Amino acid sequence: MQIEIHNLTKVYSEKRGLLPTSLDVEKGELIAVIGHNGAGKSTLLKMLASWLLPDSGQVLVDGINLGNRSAVVRKIGFVPETPNLFDFFSVEYNLKLFARLFQVPFLRIEEVLKEFDLLPFRDNKIQVLSKGLRQRVSIGRALLADPPVLLFDEPTSGIDFEMTKEIYRLLKDFHASGKTIIFTSHRPEEIKTLATRIIVLHQACLVFDGSPQKYFQSEIHEKLYL
Amino acid sequence: MTRNIITLTLNDLAIAFKNKTIYLILFIPFFVFFSLKLVDRADAQFKKINIGLIQEEMYAPVILRTIKSADRVFTVLRVSNEEEGKRWLKEKKIDGLLLRSEKEQNSLVLVVLKKESLLTLSIVENFSALQKAAEGNSINWISDIKPVQESGIEKQTLPTWILMLVLLVSFIIMPAQVAEEKEKKLLLALLQTPMREIEWLIAKLFLGMILILIAVLFLHLLGKFDLGNVLSYVAFIGVGSFCFSSYGIFLGFLCRNQASARTLGVIFYLPHLLPSALSDFSQKLTAVAPFLPSYQFYEPIKSILFEEGRISTLSLEWIYLLLVGLLTLFFSYLLMKKRWLM
Repeated sequence: MQIEIHNLTKVYSEKRGLLPTSLDVEKGELIAVIGHNGAGKSTLLKMLASWLLPDSGQVLVDGINLGNRSAVVRKIGFVPETPNLFDFFSVEYNLKLFARLFQVPFLRIEEVLKEFDLLPFRDNKIQVLSKGLRQRVSIGRALLADPPVLLFDEPTSGIDFEMTKEIYRLLKDFHASGKTIIFTSHRPEEIKTLATRIIVLHQACLVFDGSPQKYFQSEIHEKLYL
Repeated sequence: MTRNIITLTLNDLAIAFKNKTIYLILFIPFFVFFSLKLVDRADAQFKKINIGLIQEEMYAPVILRTIKSADRVFTVLRVSNEEEGKRWLKEKKIDGLLLRSEKEQNSLVLVVLKKESLLTLSIVENFSALQKAAEGNSINWISDIKPVQESGIEKQTLPTWILMLVLLVSFIIMPAQVAEEKEKKLLLALLQTPMREIEWLIAKLFLGMILILIAVLFLHLLGKFDLGNVLSYVAFIGVGSFCFSSYGIFLGFLCRNQASARTLGVIFYLPHLLPSALSDFSQKLTAVAPFLPSYQFYEPIKSILFEEGRISTLSLEWIYLLLVGLLTLFFSYLLMKKRWLM
């Protein structure tokens, strides 16, 4: 198992957060976590990314406990819903800063700029970029240290149709290169052909975990989305 | 149109409530009023003057008699020698010390804390009036005035300006900077790297200290003030900038966004600045101010600049500042570990 989650819990209020949840993730899976707003999707991802501290439970990534932050950050790359970049600085500056902190060679920045078609924007300040481009910089930053697990929180939220297709193409490419991917979405139809596994959260509880085929034939899908 | 303006105004007011700016509007006048209450208001009108006389000194009998008879104006306190008298002056137990002039018989030397002050003027005026009443128009009893703190008014105010600069950077700039990184989730992005929490905190501490040192250096380049003991002065600015930068970072951690951080910064800025800076004018504030770290910074700076103070003789003050700095840094570390309001 690449990720082992045991009784992971975070409670904000009744029916908000994530009630004790356990699941395992195999290497190379492409998992979509779906559910309505407030279902606990982002809470789950933010806990895996160490943005939130769980109330209880344990997570192991490649055998490393989530509490060992400095080791686990090399295993997990997280792309938040709103790109959190240093707006007043250029694309290249942002990537260089994080490359330094990850202690990866600057050559990797060139690779990332090329891979995400950011070369023409390398000197542009983040604040002048569109949301789609910022999202690409954010993904590029998460991939600087080449982590085996990638987490995407609502990667297509607030971006146009073309950019959404581009993001899904990237997810497929990462999956094809052997990375484990977990992303959240509240639009199940969009991820029908993308995910290899679907996890459904409803009112802070895990209510479904299985293949897309099973999910779209299940009562849960009918109950929640139809 | 009017309806929209009202709606938007109410919305702005709601935002001001939400980000706590409104508290400043209430807090600033309240605090200034409270500080002014603590300043000895009688100074400007009438206040009995505490005059120190040296126990074994042979003062002219006419002078002694006149001072003692004017018990509605002067309170006479006896000190054992000139050194003790000067110490009492600094501690504000007496307002002036009278010494017998060595140059002229029946004349006095008035020792005061500062030559250019309302209090000194008041002492001289009262003596002049008493002398007129006792002897008519003869030679002034007070032939010389010696200040304990010898420097121009410009330099006298220097410690206040230094304190203002240090507190401005620490309580206004630093909390906003920290809160901005929290608000924009930049700190969380940095925590997605192998960087350790303490490294980020030390970097922020350096930022605060560098900003303070640049501001102080710039002020000195403009003013070309005499520094007294340079090493002690620089060391104390260093310790102070450490303490208050750390304090500012801690305040930043208590806030979710920049607006709250600025409000909280001002709320801490004024109570640290005013009691220390105004302590010269009030015995009440002198009693309260020593509990503040700002006073433990302000007084040694004054001592180094005006009284040849040295860091070796100010151990208690710099240890206190160091401890406050370390304690607030530790609290910031705990809050960062807990991802407080991130």
